[in-house]
Amino acid sequence: MLSQWVLLAALVLAGVYLLKAKRSASQQAFRRLFILGAIFAGAGAVLNPDLTNVVAGWLGIGRGADLLLYSFVIFALFYVVHQYRRQLWQEKVTTDLARALTLTRAALEDSQRKD
Amino acid sequence: MASAKKADRETHAWVVVPLFNEAEVIGSVIEDLTQHFKHVVCVDDGSSDNSAAIAHQAGARVLRHPLNLGQGAALQTGFDYVSAQKGATHVVTFDADGQHLVSDALEMLELARRKRISVMFGSRFLDKRSKPGLKKRMVLKVAVLMTRAITGLRLTDAHNGLRVLSMEAIGKVRLEQNGMSHASEIVHQLAKAKLSWREYPVEVLYTEYSRRKGQSLLNSINIVIDLLVR
Repeated sequence: MLSQWVLLAALVLAGVYLLKAKRSASQQAFRRLFILGAIFAGAGAVLNPDLTNVVAGWLGIGRGADLLLYSFVIFALFYVVHQYRRQLWQEKVTTDLARALTLTRAALEDSQRKD
Repeated sequence: MASAKKADRETHAWVVVPLFNEAEVIGSVIEDLTQHFKHVVCVDDGSSDNSAAIAHQAGARVLRHPLNLGQGAALQTGFDYVSAQKGATHVVTFDADGQHLVSDALEMLELARRKRISVMFGSRFLDKRSKPGLKKRMVLKVAVLMTRAITGLRLTDAHNGLRVLSMEAIGKVRLEQNGMSHASEIVHQLAKAKLSWREYPVEVLYTEYSRRKGQSLLNSINIVIDLLVR
């Protein structure tokens, strides 16, 4: 079934994102495009609820409601991975900052001691 | 241990001691070290007790992190500090909790100099002096197997805080694992640098105090994930 391939690919992508992602402008652009797409798709689904059933049919999923659930789970997974990476990056920034402060203070104390 | 005269103290090897809430023991650890080493740098990692003041009084040069970052981060700060000092030839890493013997550190340093070995790892499993309990032994065995798998270096003890590193080795190390995973990370980076290395038998003292602290088996899972995801 097409949906199984799509879902598996999304899961693999989430794994790659977790392990390999570098912070880059193109990645940010992809995220923003994705969010824009999600907004338009959402608006479409609100205006024409049957649309979800139609798309679900293309992918080989029984009902539109199931399609929404699967999309939501995948989206949530990407969100968690993204936040985790952000947190790692924030920790690194905090560490660099704290270390710079520590070493600057130490160098200052050392130079005063020598005077 | 016989105390050396001040003039006989080691002046070119700098001891780096990461420190976090060890007020009970840090005073005697630093006093032991300063009898034999002129330069003892204590990196206080945001202790909430008076560890830093005690270390300072005992004669250490105390650097203070403004907040708690982890042992790996404290070591790296110490490495950066020593790298900026004139005349430093080696860094000795030494735990703050009183597990190591200063005499072991001195022997490792002497051997590193004599045989021109860049990296000396302390190992508690090369002789029978250290007596870890069964659980501790299991935890360390798992850690050793994982470190071997990840780094390719066939060490017998993965998480020993006593090491002697030449300044060349220090230049090849950049610890980014702030937490306890730095022990595997440092082996990984040194293995990649292809420097000469050796393990040296050291004794690890298991006091009641150190027993209360140890690491758990599940934490080895954290270490693997930390090293894969970065």
